[in-house]
Amino acid sequence: MQVQIFSSIHIPLPLEAIYRRLGYKSGITKIDERKREEIERHIEYAASLVCLKGAGLRVPLERVEPTQVFLATGADIRSAKLAGFLKGCREVLFVGSTAGSAVMDAIRGDIEGDDMTRGVVIDAVASEMTDAALDWIMGLFNRLLARENARLTRARFSAGYGDFLLENQKMMYDMLELGRIGVTINENCILIPEKSVTAVVGIHA
Amino acid sequence: MLLKETIRERIIIMDGATGTELQKKGMPAGVCPEIWCLDNPDIIGAVHAGYRDAGADIVTASTFGANRIKLNQYGTYDVVRVNRDLALLARGAVGAGILVGGDIGSTGRFVRPFGDLKFEDAIEIYKEQVRGLLEGGVDLFLIETMMDIQETRAALIAVKELTDTFTSVTMTYEAHGRTLNGTDPVTALITLQSLGADAVGCNCSTGPEEMLELIEAMKPWATVPLVAKPNAGMPELIDGATIFTMGADTFASFGTRFASRGANLLGGCCGTTPEYIRKLKEAVAGVKPVQPMRASISAVSSARSSVILEGKRTLSIVGERINPTGKKALQQELREGRMSLVRTMAKEQEHRGASLLDVNVGMPGIDEKETMLGAIGNLSVTSDLPLVIDSSNIDVIEAALRLYPGRALINSISGERARIEKLLPVAAKYGAMFILLPLAGGDIPETAEKRKKIIEDVFEKAAALGFTKSDIVIDGLVMAASSDFKAPMETLKTIEWSSDVFKANTIVGLSNVSFGMPERTWLNAAFLAMAVSKGLTMAIANPGVEELMNAKLAGDVLAGRDRDASRYIHHFSHVSPKVKQKEASSHKTPQDEVSQAILEGNREDIEQRLSGAMDSGMDAQKIVDGIMIPAITEVGALFDRKEYFLPQLIASAETMKKGIAFLEPWLRDTTLNKKPKGRIIIATVQGDVHDIGKNIVALMLRNHGFEVVDLGKNVPAETIIQEAVRLKPSVIGLSALMTTTMAGMKEIVELAQLKSLDCRFMVGGAVVTKAYAESIGAHYARDGVEAVRVAETLTA
Repeated sequence: MQVQIFSSIHIPLPLEAIYRRLGYKSGITKIDERKREEIERHIEYAASLVCLKGAGLRVPLERVEPTQVFLATGADIRSAKLAGFLKGCREVLFVGSTAGSAVMDAIRGDIEGDDMTRGVVIDAVASEMTDAALDWIMGLFNRLLARENARLTRARFSAGYGDFLLENQKMMYDMLELGRIGVTINENCILIPEKSVTAVVGIHA
Repeated sequence: MLLKETIRERIIIMDGATGTELQKKGMPAGVCPEIWCLDNPDIIGAVHAGYRDAGADIVTASTFGANRIKLNQYGTYDVVRVNRDLALLARGAVGAGILVGGDIGSTGRFVRPFGDLKFEDAIEIYKEQVRGLLEGGVDLFLIETMMDIQETRAALIAVKELTDTFTSVTMTYEAHGRTLNGTDPVTALITLQSLGADAVGCNCSTGPEEMLELIEAMKPWATVPLVAKPNAGMPELIDGATIFTMGADTFASFGTRFASRGANLLGGCCGTTPEYIRKLKEAVAGVKPVQPMRASISAVSSARSSVILEGKRTLSIVGERINPTGKKALQQELREGRMSLVRTMAKEQEHRGASLLDVNVGMPGIDEKETMLGAIGNLSVTSDLPLVIDSSNIDVIEAALRLYPGRALINSISGERARIEKLLPVAAKYGAMFILLPLAGGDIPETAEKRKKIIEDVFEKAAALGFTKSDIVIDGLVMAASSDFKAPMETLKTIEWSSDVFKANTIVGLSNVSFGMPERTWLNAAFLAMAVSKGLTMAIANPGVEELMNAKLAGDVLAGRDRDASRYIHHFSHVSPKVKQKEASSHKTPQDEVSQAILEGNREDIEQRLSGAMDSGMDAQKIVDGIMIPAITEVGALFDRKEYFLPQLIASAETMKKGIAFLEPWLRDTTLNKKPKGRIIIATVQGDVHDIGKNIVALMLRNHGFEVVDLGKNVPAETIIQEAVRLKPSVIGLSALMTTTMAGMKEIVELAQLKSLDCRFMVGGAVVTKAYAESIGAHYARDGVEAVRVAETLTA
């Protein structure tokens, strides 16, 4: 088991998801050309600040009980929801991604400064790109798994959902060695830079 | 069969899928396929023989994952033996008269600068595999299903440094037409064919229909045969299993279309079987292959984009900024081993319209090679632009070319003996283009005639190593007009001859012409326009100089390179959009214009429009009450109806804020007499560092006349209560984005009750619901607009 580090992830800009996150409703929201140009300029600027990095780690499952997941490493996770999600899986894939600190500095500067409009757009771009980076990592592992006649679950599960407590993020942070991609974790188990995420994905034979 | 000759005569048929065939024949999930094949030689032998019997010219040894990284995961360490034995097994299964390809796939790790695997380690890992395959007697190498251009380069370099055996390289592309790592097929082609691949193409990932487009895109630029090995259609997930649904007849029917679009080697990937290959062979029997359309190409590439330097095209600007000469901050940074300025300069130049980036890090007191490699690593992930490797040190250039994940342009190779003898072979090995600098014998040739002689001499030596004129860019050798007024004309003559007679691309280091002169920009711009008229194709310049870039745009139009002047018109139509705006709004009253500025979120013009409204005699307070408040209320309504989305709401709110600030001196008297609607304390609860939503709410509340005291984010309950006791707000607004921190809201409400505080609570945030709010005795606000409504109700 070795963590795979991705020092630079390049993804197509998830424009639809960014607009959706900002509340755009197709066929309802009306944007004039000037505003659209302004927003797209902000999106382009945000994308230039985002520096996507990621990590992935496959870990065999020892066993899955109704309320607890046992990893082959000896670690275990208490969560009935996660256990249900991983039912039938032989392994799990831990994934993590970050948009880097430069984009967070820009968001902070704009929100606390005098360009909140650009700040919220950058925030949306960074969030969606960080999420898309996890899709990218999953896509890569799916390709690698194909030759083993295995595949990932379509969904992923993050700490903080349901009974999969946020405290588990610390374990995931350590396993994924996220410090290597410039991510730290605070005493409340929040990843810094803020636009950083982790998740668990199941591997089906 | 002599592969290189046969490719010219007919379509070469490769085999189909191995993995899916083995799975059908009982290979269990989770095993190492290579070891399983060695343990089950009859099964893999039957797969190989099946493809031979179907008519394949090439069968692929089952060594796709037989590299150190993959095998070690299964506890196997004798990489050479595994590769040798699998190659021998394939040979034994198919006998003589058919080619056996050594299959090389991804290690699954990404190589620096895109991952954590060192580039030289990747080359060594692949060399180990190549040695085993050579021992096993393979006839060719098939590097395939690659996702990362840098790993692909490592594999190709590994093969080429051990053997000159025919090597086909295919990458796998996503639905959006790029590899997972962002490389498009033309860029991959330019990089790989220049690095020595004997055939390039694509395999896996898509069905034949989608792959046709990739082949079609590559063909015009290919100097080598093209390879297509599609899946049996796009995979579908049926009952939890991945199924390829395209039948053999349909698959084979694409054979002639692939051939006519330019594919020279055809085979199958996932889901295909010997039946597919048999029918494919029948479909293309007698079809004449389309040969590569060119022997060479003027093109450079990065990891994710390419620049074709052929045909009648606009002038390419090579950004010159990444050079420490005369830049103290950059010098300091390079000395400290940092690269942030290099990255910033790259992005700025890209944004300003550069097509390539010159990279020169030569300066005293640093390790130039290490610095150059650091710059390449950083730039390869920061910018999509191809790089020009600029150094006087041959070792630095060699190291840079080895690492650079694309086809670079070398700046430069002159007629000096050392450059020719040492650098030309290096450039040839890595397939780089180079700038030919017409200098020799330590002298600067003053006339174009002397320069032509050097150009021809250097080219003769380069041609002996396989270079063509397409691989060369001639430097016109720009000298300062201030020291010799004839010098610019000699440069122009050199450019004209190189372009019209020698038929090569040309370049100038533009700013040299104005050295020692005042107002250099005009000389540079004028000289650029003159050089373009003589056929100049590239200029090393600072794209941040607007006059220069405008002269380039104009020169492209006047030289007939910007068809229909579309780039020129597009550029200048975006430069002055305000003109249109003013025309459009010229019939509105000043009051309408203020209202419109808020509705449109026009922060740039609000002050000017407010001045207009006041000049028309309107009182400031009336402007606020009668125009601005109704306008921002209308914005809220538009947001509620989803006709506006968040950026529009915020832009309008910021316009309002800016407008109020502008009017403040005139409002002061009336404001003193006018009480705010109410005081609101607002905070993000302890443990939560997310505060954008809270800041938006604060902005909206202030715009609607509330006094807002923002305590910030991650605020302890005690602090909020202490401030509430001190400030006696009408409302406390709390925000939380996470389920774990949401509980803090309840604690604060309870603490307030304990302290008998006379105030109401308003809560919101991504995870907060109306039901939760009510359960803790608070009021819920979904967003900033609703927060204003709730606050108005609570303070009424």
